Amino acid sequence: MAFYADKDYTEDATVLEAANRVMQGQLGLEWYDAKTEKVKGKPADHKRGLTYTDLDLGSYGFSAIPENVRTSQSMVSRGSEKVGKLPDMGYVVNRKSDVWSDNVAALYEEAKARRWVPATDIPWTELAQKPLAPEMEAACAQIYTFLQECTSVTLDFPSRWVPLINQDFLELKSWMCAQMLDASRLFEVFRKRALYGGSGLKRASVSAEQGLKEWLWADLYPQGSVSINLALGGILLSICRQVAAFAPSNVDHRIMRYAMQDTARQVSYGSGQLRYYVYHRPLEIPAMEQYIEDEEHVILAILGCPEVLEPLIIISGGGLDAAQVRAGRIAVMKFIRLAVQEYLERISAAGLKGHSKRSRLPQVVDRIEGPA
Amino acid sequence: MAITFPSTDYFTQLKTQMEAQAEKFKRLGYIDTTFAISVGANGSIRNFILEFEVFDLKNVREVPTVDLKHVDFQIEGDAPVWREMIENIKRNGQADSSHDINTLTHFGERLKIRYDDPDGHDKLYRFMESIQEFFDLSSKVDVTFN
Amino acid sequence: MAYLATNNYLEDKNFIDKWLYTIKSGELDLSWMNAATEKVQPKEANPRRGLTYRDLDLGTYGYTDIPEKLRRNRSYAPRGAEIPDGVPDAQPWVSRKSELWAFNTESYYEEAVSRQWNATTDIPWDRLEGAELPENIGKALSQLMTFLTEVEMIATDTPAMWLPRLNPDFIEVRSFIAAQAMDEARHAEVFRKRALTTGWGLMQASPMNEMALKHLRDADSFSEMSVALHLVAEGNVLTMFRFSEYLSPTDVDKRIFRLVMQDEARHVGYGMQHFKYVLEHFPEKREVLHAHLDEAENISFAGAAATELTESFIILAGGGLKKENIEEGIKITTMFNLKQMQEHFERLDKCGMPERRERSKLFNMYQMGVAAAEAAGIKLN
Repeated sequence: MAFYADKDYTEDATVLEAANRVMQGQLGLEWYDAKTEKVKGKPADHKRGLTYTDLDLGSYGFSAIPENVRTSQSMVSRGSEKVGKLPDMGYVVNRKSDVWSDNVAALYEEAKARRWVPATDIPWTELAQKPLAPEMEAACAQIYTFLQECTSVTLDFPSRWVPLINQDFLELKSWMCAQMLDASRLFEVFRKRALYGGSGLKRASVSAEQGLKEWLWADLYPQGSVSINLALGGILLSICRQVAAFAPSNVDHRIMRYAMQDTARQVSYGSGQLRYYVYHRPLEIPAMEQYIEDEEHVILAILGCPEVLEPLIIISGGGLDAAQVRAGRIAVMKFIRLAVQEYLERISAAGLKGHSKRSRLPQVVDRIEGPA
Repeated sequence: MAITFPSTDYFTQLKTQMEAQAEKFKRLGYIDTTFAISVGANGSIRNFILEFEVFDLKNVREVPTVDLKHVDFQIEGDAPVWREMIENIKRNGQADSSHDINTLTHFGERLKIRYDDPDGHDKLYRFMESIQEFFDLSSKVDVTFN
Repeated sequence: MAYLATNNYLEDKNFIDKWLYTIKSGELDLSWMNAATEKVQPKEANPRRGLTYRDLDLGTYGYTDIPEKLRRNRSYAPRGAEIPDGVPDAQPWVSRKSELWAFNTESYYEEAVSRQWNATTDIPWDRLEGAELPENIGKALSQLMTFLTEVEMIATDTPAMWLPRLNPDFIEVRSFIAAQAMDEARHAEVFRKRALTTGWGLMQASPMNEMALKHLRDADSFSEMSVALHLVAEGNVLTMFRFSEYLSPTDVDKRIFRLVMQDEARHVGYGMQHFKYVLEHFPEKREVLHAHLDEAENISFAGAAATELTESFIILAGGGLKKENIEEGIKITTMFNLKQMQEHFERLDKCGMPERRERSKLFNMYQMGVAAAEAAGIKLN
């Protein structure tokens, strides 16, 4: 894989001459009249600052990126003048519709603006002052163990693809970097919470991990994005909302309120990317429909595993006695329905209108009602 | 002087309080969303559109009906639920975990979320911290209930 | 490339039946409650700092006790969790601690998270409105910014490429890399924004430096990548940021460079600490590291042929294109170039490789450069 320089530059007369010439005052200034567009960007709204949208100007702007990027395979900055022999960085994602979402520049700006710090923004000592009952703490430790598994995967997904995506998609790659930091921060807060309560981590989930790996290792970026950003993001958002609503402590409440912000952004991008893809690649719709249908079993793998289901029942019900478990079951039934319903709504809103009828999820979820 | 809920005056007071805590809201980050608050009482509904941009509440207005295509989402509920939330905020300085927006709207049983586009719905969660802090400003406002 | 789970859960009757039974009956299995994992009680060592990864460095959960070779966990299970049979293999390429570990990695990460700044709002862009730089300064600044925005994303793409290849047990390193990716995206952003506010737009790309970027990106191992990127390339860039701050034609530019150098110093810190860690714990790798440095320094020297960058520095340093400006600019740029090389070898000294000077062709070039500078009356501090 290694790329080595084509020569020893410390002995290359051309390099030494070029450097010496300049350092003796003979400036070539070939760059001085670069054949690039002259622009002077400024903030549209001073309160908001100077955004990428403000610089969506002429050849520099993201609106001008064509569907097929053919003329750039290096790391040259979009809009700068290309000269000389440029290396091929081997990008394999060069179609805008494979990665783009109309909200990506705005989401990047929002991610930066809405950052938070797990170490100091969560009132950790409150948990030490008011510890939870052992079974509740264990349930929290289990759900936070599971959430670490998920955020390890939501960290890996953008990381895998970022170096493979054409550099012209700068705003998209920047958003993916923001996603990486978001995922890392979520992993951090989930780990800190899981350990702080004293119950230790709990058990990894076989079915969830098998499913997560299947989603992570999708062949194509748009497929992976639907799975990781839209589907997994949506499940995580629903879990954050559920745990926040039934939070056994203010610490858990605060964690989940922050976490839902980050995951909702992820979902927004996933929805937007699918929408963009479907709109611009109508011929690919059948294949995408089939992919989504084939991958929905992972939603069940996640929501159905005991490592997720049982702690959610305990947290939602408030404990392990019969009345609490009953209340918890009812709350989790509603949660599963809501999570699946919202997932199907997002798919439909992206342009795959008939998907709810194709999906096998509603029939499985309908079976939740009724006797054991 | 006490302000009646629901009313544009109430939300305008929250706007004033938000401006007084500009640094706090700036630290939370951009809030770019327009949503509707609908309060039902005695068979009728009063609707308010709140337009947030950058770090501020830009505009508040009362409207006869809510067109879901022109808002990101609508939070709808009966007056007693809204009252309970605001009284909880006044008592505690902020909503407790049983009375915050997420909990009250979660299953749609106390407050309901309506939306035309799921992406608009997701904005409630993208800006949740700011939206909740906004409602928590009720702790600084003298409120009476209609 | 696709992976298929060992089961299609929508077709697994037993899985579905168990799920439905649990929900409907409330009979919980609860075996996860008795997971064979350690119980620890972390505490915030410094309440003002909050709860850090260092506070979690306890028992099997901690990073101190990560062994040299990770044999147990190849899944997505978080370090210290119970790992049941049947979890998938995440296919990590790097499961040796010496390949990537650095002292204080967890602190670099925590610092990164707490010191994130925003190129959109933390730079006083409005102060540039109405402010016009002379053409030669404006163009030189744009050229410098064009170079910087071009190279910054390599420090996103390259570590990001390695991140999913690292065993998930290396939590703190993976987190640091994620933070670095965001730092570099922010750098690419702020430099691009500055170039597009000068009135001159972007200028010319740099073919010599593009070659360097490819070398960084396509390293054979994480360690080789880190030596080339964190230690050599970012070390050079850190010196460049300090120099650029000194040359900045406006206070807005000064602010930009002060903020970016904070981030860059963290990355260089990681690079140095990794290098030190390897030398201290694996002395047999010394020759391997020398070989990495041979390549990295060669590429670094090739940058001397990137005349578009050198010339823009000369113009900024000298304040223009007149003869006397260029003479002054050359003096200052010479000092910068030599300082860059000097600091590179100082870092290697500090990391425990003082003998590098004797082996390095770059050091020879440095010595020749110092001699030539002194002959021209330029004294290095």
